[in-house]
Amino acid sequence: MSELSVNHLLGIKYLNKKDIELIFETADHFKEVINRPIKKVPSLRDITIANLFFENSTRTKLSFELAEKRLSADVINFSASQSSVKKGETLIDTVNNILSMKVDMVVMRHPNPGASVFLSQHVDASIINAGDGAHEHPTQALLDSYSIRERLGEVKGKNVVIVGDILHSRVALSNIYALKLQGANVMVCGPKTLLPKHIDKLGVKVETNLQKALNWCDVANMLRVQNERMDISYFPSTREYTQQFGVNKALLDSLDKEITIMHPGPINRGVEITSDVADSKQAIILDQVQNGVAVRMAVIYLLASKIKQ
Amino acid sequence: MNVLLKSATIIDSKSDFHNQTVDILIENGVISQISKAIKNSKNIKEIHLDNLHVSQGWFDSSVSFGEPGYEERETIENGLRTAALSGFTSVALNPNTNPVIDCNADVSFIKSKAKKHAVSLYPIGSLTKEGKGIDLAELFDMKQAGAIAFGDYKTSIDNPNLLKIALQYASNFDGLVLSFPQENKISGKGVMNEEFTSTSLGLKGIPNMAEELQVARDLFLLEYTEGKLHIPTISTAKSVELIRAAKQKKLNVSCSVAIHNLILTDEALTTFNTNCKVLPPLRTQKDIDTLIEGLKDGTIDMVTSDHNPMDIEHKKIEFDLAAYGTIGLESAFGILNTHFSTKKTIDFLTRGKNRFGINTHEIAIGNKADLSLFNPNGSQTFTKENIKSTSKNAIFENHETKGQVYGIVSNNKLVLN
Repeated sequence: MSELSVNHLLGIKYLNKKDIELIFETADHFKEVINRPIKKVPSLRDITIANLFFENSTRTKLSFELAEKRLSADVINFSASQSSVKKGETLIDTVNNILSMKVDMVVMRHPNPGASVFLSQHVDASIINAGDGAHEHPTQALLDSYSIRERLGEVKGKNVVIVGDILHSRVALSNIYALKLQGANVMVCGPKTLLPKHIDKLGVKVETNLQKALNWCDVANMLRVQNERMDISYFPSTREYTQQFGVNKALLDSLDKEITIMHPGPINRGVEITSDVADSKQAIILDQVQNGVAVRMAVIYLLASKIKQ
Repeated sequence: MNVLLKSATIIDSKSDFHNQTVDILIENGVISQISKAIKNSKNIKEIHLDNLHVSQGWFDSSVSFGEPGYEERETIENGLRTAALSGFTSVALNPNTNPVIDCNADVSFIKSKAKKHAVSLYPIGSLTKEGKGIDLAELFDMKQAGAIAFGDYKTSIDNPNLLKIALQYASNFDGLVLSFPQENKISGKGVMNEEFTSTSLGLKGIPNMAEELQVARDLFLLEYTEGKLHIPTISTAKSVELIRAAKQKKLNVSCSVAIHNLILTDEALTTFNTNCKVLPPLRTQKDIDTLIEGLKDGTIDMVTSDHNPMDIEHKKIEFDLAAYGTIGLESAFGILNTHFSTKKTIDFLTRGKNRFGINTHEIAIGNKADLSLFNPNGSQTFTKENIKSTSKNAIFENHETKGQVYGIVSNNKLVLN
């Protein structure tokens, strides 16, 4: 049987193309399962998974929890703001305390880049990175690619533009790695203040004009502006941002072809995307959410099968 | 102390015995005889070491120990022992302490702690009171107590007028002012070099420009004040160019480079190894090439290990939260000797004393014995076993090193591994 090349999912940059193909094939199966009347399979009955969220999350946390429950894993949840951890206990101690209760797998979201890599070096459990600072959010990138594959048949050769706050985005970085690995052409678009200076060295095109970017692409992945990660103002006002980098119906209608619109959520309606675009048939935002459960089931299932060995 | 070093090859271009293999007789801390096969008529302790080489004592211009306040990182006693066993006979100690060393009594405390030790300890006093960057500390008074220079360690002097005044004021008594090269508003929340690697790791970057703006600013201030400035630990190619141009204009400026900034690029951080989190950050190969050029042509005056012991609680944590710094005394010789010729290595390790007003002692009869003892050959992997420091945060852990340090003869004492 095929298996992943890794024991943890820390980031897309640690995967190879075969890993992604395997995850998608497995997700196809689970997508069929979750659309059955009985949505649950007994695959992971003897596996315990801890969801550790050191940073706020609603959708990702629910999606992981649902994926785990649909696989019949035992699930425990731990949420803490970083400040409460700062009262004294280190990350390693927190996690080891939880692991000593016989937990097999950890799903972790954390505000610091590399936190999941660090954890994998120091604790004895399979780690899934559910977002670490501005580093990676691998399951989001996997579900995004999976959704493109579902809508357009394949990812290879497609032109995908990621629009918005690239500087503070783990979704952008993971998506760049995932899309490149599958042979897509990737562009980033946003105000220059929100584009990392050396982003072109990752092999992506850089564009600061949204109209040009949309004319080029087959798919536009609209990111949220991450105000909570900004130490200073990177643009003067939301109004100005929207004028330059918001997608609206008129802009979409002016393009030569019908492009696919994605968004990892949560949407700021009227900022990066207007309601008529978000709710249009061009948008696959809710498909992404559904695919998130199937893809996360696939990742958990594949990593758990390595633990069982 | 009397000792007879048998069959030692002298590496000291200033010495008449350069490149000669001789016996060196040291009596009461002074070299009393150098010649082939000295007869040991007084039954003096003889030292026979495999392929023994001897040079002038090595100097490190940027060392931190932690005492007072951070004794868990390193004490002065063990720090000096580490320096001795690593081949250093003189070290300049940063005011990287709590409280910072900012008055006569503090400097005297440090000096008294180091008294009677084989390694000479030279305190650097804080430039500003409590290292806060607001008011000048009592620089002259600290100099009276033995401070050899003044700087706020890795805290940049944000206020240019303060540096202007410091350079003017210290010039009254030929004081050397240190200014850490980083513009803090540009470096922001950066934790590593801003380049491809920081982009791929999602870590905030510190652009080269953060250093170069500060270097350029400081050189303007130096030209205006006609003071005496040392820029500790530069890391970028453009900094070398700026300082080279300033030296051509005869400005009274010197600078150093940390050994790790000469050897490692920011790619060392791809596993989020916090021992590689240093300030200034590891840069790129292009920077390294220019730094080496600058070191060879004299633009960069000296190398330093930038030794900064840090307890595991500040290192075995998330990268963003980890403290900066690496230990470096123990690996300094072996790493340099791996990447440069032994001749160059010794040249680098013996530079800089004069800039800090410290006497040098050529290897000659009648001179004070201030010697580093080593074997330039043989290779080994640098591991935790090689670490003498209380803290184990070594950037060069598991790196290959060439040669072996035997110890020192200094201050009328012999210290051997």
